[in-house]
Order: sequence, then structure tokens, then C-alpha cells
Amino acid sequence: MKILVAIDDTDNIDSRGTGELADLLSKYLQETGWGKGGAVTRHQLLVHPDIPYTSHNSSMCFVAEIDASYLAAYIEYAGHFLEKERAEGSDPGLCVAAIEQVNFPDELIDFGYRAKQVVLTKSNAYKLAKKLDIHLSEHGGSGQGVIGALAGVALRLTANDGRFRGKLKVKSRDDLLSVGEIKKQTPVTVVKSLDDMLVLDDDSIILMGEKLKAVLLEGQCTLLVVPTGMNDPKWQSCTTSQLRKF
Amino acid sequence: MIILSPWLLTEEGKYEFRQGKDAWKEAAQIAARCPHFQPDEEEEQVADENCSCYNCRYRRWTQESFLCLKL
Repeated sequence: MKILVAIDDTDNIDSRGTGELADLLSKYLQETGWGKGGAVTRHQLLVHPDIPYTSHNSSMCFVAEIDASYLAAYIEYAGHFLEKERAEGSDPGLCVAAIEQVNFPDELIDFGYRAKQVVLTKSNAYKLAKKLDIHLSEHGGSGQGVIGALAGVALRLTANDGRFRGKLKVKSRDDLLSVGEIKKQTPVTVVKSLDDMLVLDDDSIILMGEKLKAVLLEGQCTLLVVPTGMNDPKWQSCTTSQLRKF
Repeated sequence: MIILSPWLLTEEGKYEFRQGKDAWKEAAQIAARCPHFQPDEEEEQVADENCSCYNCRYRRWTQESFLCLKL
């Protein structure tokens, strides 16, 4: 079965980040042979004085394949993992949802978008998780991270939110690569222009920057590019600052 | 010539960057001189310059800008 796993509020300013813990939880599935975890995405939530967060208020989520018989054990492991690894002063939350079994996915997605715009409460999160039959649990501190964890699953479910954790690694001569070669060397499945979301064909040549990041758009691991202003190469990868809004 | 501090003192006694979230050059210049700068996790970095207040683990984003947690 395919599941979404999200965690939030596990860190403090001196500890390792929530993204690293999400990555470890994803890898654990392979290590145990219970399934296969996918790449972690980062989802921006509302920044507001009434919301306690470390420095950025983002949630981390990944998709995983798991043998259904291991799901309960995996959720138990993930909860203990957060209790053990959470930083002092953090308020971790864990959300796990079986994608095909989510009741009323529109309500879940609405929660995710609202978490970007308004201040939500733990009660809001628990009520919705119960209605939708989604696992939601807190693992220390105030447990406030359940809001971001549920929102992380919701935003990942939109298939149109967030940046993938980590930089893409490519080998190229003169920093030039065709779209086809980018797809071969990385998890990227489509290359699009930032301005008008035009899909580039496999023969298009891209000038690759230093920091290559992919975003989640229409369910695809997407590399965004902008015009170089030249005829050849016509496109270059987006810079970090150009991807801030994702 | 009057030189304004890049920081505003908030009512809570914190220092907020006066120039908001798009002053890339200024944020890099301040970080270059800052003894407290530490890069945040890769996924939380937003500036192209490695050394920038916008990429620092000791910045806390606000609605308009960020607070420096080391001042």
C-alpha cells in the first residue's frame, strides 16, 4: 500500500533539522525490508506570531510503499523514533495516511492550504484526522506539531506544493546538459520554464547552476528553468532564491 | 550622512531586519561580517549566496522579515 508520512516540529535552532529525521524514517523502510520510502518534500506553512515554530514553520513529508502488515509496527516505530530524536523544547507531530483510503481528500487538502493562511489548532487537526481516519499523534512537548504534520500530508497530497529536500547531483561537461540527460541522471521527471510552465523537450539544452533543486508540481519531480537571454543555451536552471515561493 | 541600523528593535526586545525578505545584497553583507553566522539546513536556505542572514539558522522568519536570534 502507498502511504504519506509527515512530521513537524522536531527541532530547535541548534539541533539537526526535521528534514533529516524524515529522511531517516523514509530510509528505515528499506533497511527493515518493510517497504520503500521516497524523497522528502518541504512544505511551507503560515508564519505568524501566534504559531510556535523554530525559525521557518515548515513540514516534511514523503511517500512510501509498505506491506500493509507492517503499517502498525512502522507507525509505532516512527513515534518512538520522534520521542528519542526530538530536540529539547520541540513539540513533534506524526501523521501517516494510506493514500487510497483517505476519506474526503478535498477536506484534507483544504486543511493543508488553510495551514498556509490562518492559525489552526490541535483540536482542528485531531477532529479532521479522526473524520478522515488518518493516523495523527504527538510525541513530546505540547504536541503542537500535529497541525503541521497533518498539513504536510495534505499539501503533499495536492501534488503541487513544496521543494524536494537535497540538491540534485549531475555530471556535465561545461555545465551543459540536455533535458533527457537530466532525467537520466536525477529523479527529475520533467523540466519546465518558471514563467509559463512550458514543458521542455528532451533535446533542450540547460545551463546548470551550482545549486540544483527540484520542486513538486503536478505530481512530478520538476526542475524549473529560466531563459538565459541567449540563443544557445536558451535555458538555465533556477537559482535558490527563484525557488523560494515553492 | 545618516547611516541607519539594519535592525529594528521590536516591542518584545528582539531585533528585526529592517529591509524585509528581498534585500539579498544587504543580508549577504551583514552575514559576511557576523561572527554568529551558521548555515541552516539545506532545505531551509533561500538565498543564492551561501553566507546570508536569509540562510542562517539563527534567523526566525516573521511575516514581513526575520528576527536575528543572536542579537
